Amino acid sequence: MTDAVAHPEAGHESTDDERLAYRGVFTRLLVRPEIGAVIGSAAIWVFFWAVSGQFGTAGGLSGVLDVSATLGIMAVAVALLMIGGEFDLSSGAATGALGIVTILLVKDIGELGGAGLNLFIAIPLSFVVAMALGWYNGTVVERTGLPSFIVTLATFFVLRGFKLGFSKLTIDNISVGRIDEGGGFDFWRPIFAGVWTRNDHVWDTRDVVYTIGVLAGLALLVLAVYEGNYLRKKVFNPAGLALFFAGIIGTASGVALMHATDGVADNAISGAVIVVSMIFGFVGVAMWRYEPIAGDNSIHFDPRVLEFAVLGLVLVLIGIFCALVVDVNGQEAILDRIPAVAAWLLTLVAFGVAGAVVWRRSSGGVVGAERWSALLKPLRTGLVAAVAFVTFMFMTTEQGLRAMLFVGLGATGLVFLAMAALRARKASALSGSMMLALNALVVAGLALFIQAESGHEKFRTEIFSVMMFGAVVILAWALVSSRFQQRRAADHYADRLSKILAVAGLVSVLVGLVSRLLWTTTEEIDSGVAFASFRMSILWFIAFTAVATFVLGRTKFGSWIFAVGGNKEAARQVGVPAARTKTQLFMIVSGAAWLVGLLLAFRLQTLQSGTGNGLEFEYIIAAVVGGTALTGGYGSVLGAAIGAFIMAMSKQGIGLALWNSDWRFAFLGVILLGAVMANNFIKAKAEAVR
Amino acid sequence: MRKLRFLLALLAIFSLFAVSCGDDDSADGNDIEEVSETDEIPAPEPAPVEEPDSGLIFHMITHSDDGPFWSVVKRGAEAAAEAVGVTLVWNPSNNDPGVQASDIAAAVAANSDGIAASLPSPDQLIPPLQEAVAAGIPVYTLNSGVNDYQSIGATSHVGQTEVIAGNGAGRRFNDLGATKVLCGIQEQDNVALGERCAGLAETFNGEVVSNFMDLDANQVAQEGAINAALAADSDIDGFLGVGPVIAVSGLSAAKALGKDVGNSFFVGGFDITPDIIDAIEEGEIAFTVDQQQYLQGYIPVVLMYLEATNQNTLGGGLPILTGPGFVTPENAAAVKALVAAGTR
Repeated sequence: MTDAVAHPEAGHESTDDERLAYRGVFTRLLVRPEIGAVIGSAAIWVFFWAVSGQFGTAGGLSGVLDVSATLGIMAVAVALLMIGGEFDLSSGAATGALGIVTILLVKDIGELGGAGLNLFIAIPLSFVVAMALGWYNGTVVERTGLPSFIVTLATFFVLRGFKLGFSKLTIDNISVGRIDEGGGFDFWRPIFAGVWTRNDHVWDTRDVVYTIGVLAGLALLVLAVYEGNYLRKKVFNPAGLALFFAGIIGTASGVALMHATDGVADNAISGAVIVVSMIFGFVGVAMWRYEPIAGDNSIHFDPRVLEFAVLGLVLVLIGIFCALVVDVNGQEAILDRIPAVAAWLLTLVAFGVAGAVVWRRSSGGVVGAERWSALLKPLRTGLVAAVAFVTFMFMTTEQGLRAMLFVGLGATGLVFLAMAALRARKASALSGSMMLALNALVVAGLALFIQAESGHEKFRTEIFSVMMFGAVVILAWALVSSRFQQRRAADHYADRLSKILAVAGLVSVLVGLVSRLLWTTTEEIDSGVAFASFRMSILWFIAFTAVATFVLGRTKFGSWIFAVGGNKEAARQVGVPAARTKTQLFMIVSGAAWLVGLLLAFRLQTLQSGTGNGLEFEYIIAAVVGGTALTGGYGSVLGAAIGAFIMAMSKQGIGLALWNSDWRFAFLGVILLGAVMANNFIKAKAEAVR
Repeated sequence: MRKLRFLLALLAIFSLFAVSCGDDDSADGNDIEEVSETDEIPAPEPAPVEEPDSGLIFHMITHSDDGPFWSVVKRGAEAAAEAVGVTLVWNPSNNDPGVQASDIAAAVAANSDGIAASLPSPDQLIPPLQEAVAAGIPVYTLNSGVNDYQSIGATSHVGQTEVIAGNGAGRRFNDLGATKVLCGIQEQDNVALGERCAGLAETFNGEVVSNFMDLDANQVAQEGAINAALAADSDIDGFLGVGPVIAVSGLSAAKALGKDVGNSFFVGGFDITPDIIDAIEEGEIAFTVDQQQYLQGYIPVVLMYLEATNQNTLGGGLPILTGPGFVTPENAAAVKALVAAGTR
């Protein structure tokens, strides 16, 4: 959908038609509807990783995936329906209802004689029920012309009544169990409720696969970005190619050395070998394939650049200082630790500083009463911020505060440094690169600090290597961007290669991460690694999302969904079977509810009549967090899946961080609002870029 | 236009006539009238369609979600209603205090002969119940509300005092040898559930961490939240779920974390469901606190009947306790048979 619409000749500089204008890799990524959710989920992951020692472990992740799976399957289906312009408020109740239908079909039902069906018959039969339910919803909405909000709300109540009434009528009980009484249970159980217990799967060479997979994958991604951004060279440069291969060999030998040896000094040496070789490799690729910059490329910084750079450095240093000062193990709420007087003083000082800043900034040419009224708005904002700050302090533990200060200040500092680099780049490519190199150094420094300060071993070593790798990439980027020309036109061959490299890179990274996640080593078992088990529902979630993504993005039916959600009448007039499409969407939702119902039934064996009631709003929220519009016609299936992941991360993270659970929904609300706001902000930026 | 107005007028006259006829009908020889005359409020309510022996109508207005727990209460109430010959109106509200408050107001307006209500959120429910008392209707609280029934002016409370039930659970965990117990709550603003955890903390020798998990309707997230809390603190070696579903979720979460359930990790629960009984029989759940909720449905109906017909009151103003009883591996089999009959 967002693929470049045309492929002009390589190197062709500019076109008059804006539809044919070349959009770089980043721009094309930015206009994807799910980009906000991706960035939001990364931010929330980093946040909880920093706050909780358990969050980043395989055990923590298995919990997050488990919670996101059933939520995500429904969110994906609901997102499709919402893109098609409708809602289904019965989707939550339907999950429980269809699970209960399946159980009742296999159960011997007392006086009524009982269905007592084999699961091989009961499962397809309940699928038929699900399809009928979706068809009913869709048909009533289409025939009556009533809003789906009302029609499906009615269905919700009907289902709720049916679940209760029917299960009491047949088995005189509210908890409907048990599905394992049905014939064929042993066959279906692994399919719907299989569990992969990590601690039972030892694989000692796992780390080799992990390291190579992740390193090679990230390197491929970097190459993909290069290929998509730089101007291809017309003359072959053998020196570059040689340097590239030297880099690969150097990196490989560095990795081999790291795994062969065990000492700290050996690790440092092999780490240095890897870093240097990778930089050589990246620069080699650039020399081999891309056109160097012609013309003036001297160093020049304007004062604003230096201001940004200094500000960034100071913020990072303050972050490090905070991490050193605040207790890493403090589990008490912060306000309990601070005397009331000090808290008030702190608040007053904060107000004073804010007031002074506001006063200074508002003085530009305004006097007297106008100046005061001009102050009113920022003061109001300040008041809200202060209340939010105090409330936040009240809820957060000392250790949580430490992590937040460190991550927050460090990230803000890095943003300022990046802004300095962007600004410096306007003067000349070389000055931009100098600033980028500074960025790389700061990231490496932060990585070293985390490594030295780390209270928890576990995943922190991985974070260290990821940050180090990040520093290497930034440094290589700095080196390359200072000397090579960027592309301003599409290049069919290079764009294709870039895409292939990106996909290969992602697959490689995934292989590495998944191997790390699913297997354990003898060493880890000996050191008492926490339990982690992964359920089949996660695979169903991934598969369902993949299929839905394909359907929405690559098929005629997918285009119809966008069309009927955008403007139904217009869609009908150009020949889209609008009514049928919408009915089919309702059937997809009830089909997903059937799948989730089975996942729940096989997992819990007994379902409560209330199972799933009220969860339909969570599905809609997940879809919206993932960038799907409430108005229809815009959205993303992948985004909805990520939205579900964000919600699961927030829920699990709050528990893992040992925060006061009374505030759970307050946290959840703030996080969701933040995610949606970030999403909108990024979307607005993307629109501007487009 | 004129025709329409005429029709409306005709309709109004006709409906007035119909209403007054309805009043006449309910007036002749009905027991309701005797009671309501003492209230000095005329009875606008038409007669019930089916006339049981006594003609009394009792309202049981609870925060019931019609789940496994409340269905036993309902069964007890219905059995008692049948035994003494009264009409029972069962008003569940699925944990919505607003619905409950309006149901109580409606029962008062309908001039009920007795109201038994649960009090999960006292602040919203005390005012309408006080109005019921002021209207001269016998009021009992059941299940939750032991702290407030006196201030309402209710005759008595039938239930388990939550703190005492929690105390019992604390002693059980002491006997089992647990050192740190996580107390999981499934409804965040239900005061009674918090008191169970508070009662646990009173008698338990070790440390207690109380946490809201997720709703029973979302068992996957509930298990996830318990999983997170247990993973975050490996010192925890006991879990008390203050409901039957959350106890099973806790068991499942502990198993997923590789805890040695029954030997070095102990799970306790509240109330009885087939699942929890099975788990107790298998030794995976150590005990469940049984508040014998059948009695909480049965006894208030009998008490309301005695107060309405014979001006008897029971309990001397003190609460009438139905628990805590315990189901442990020893008596699980016997209780299981009664559960199958739907009365435990």
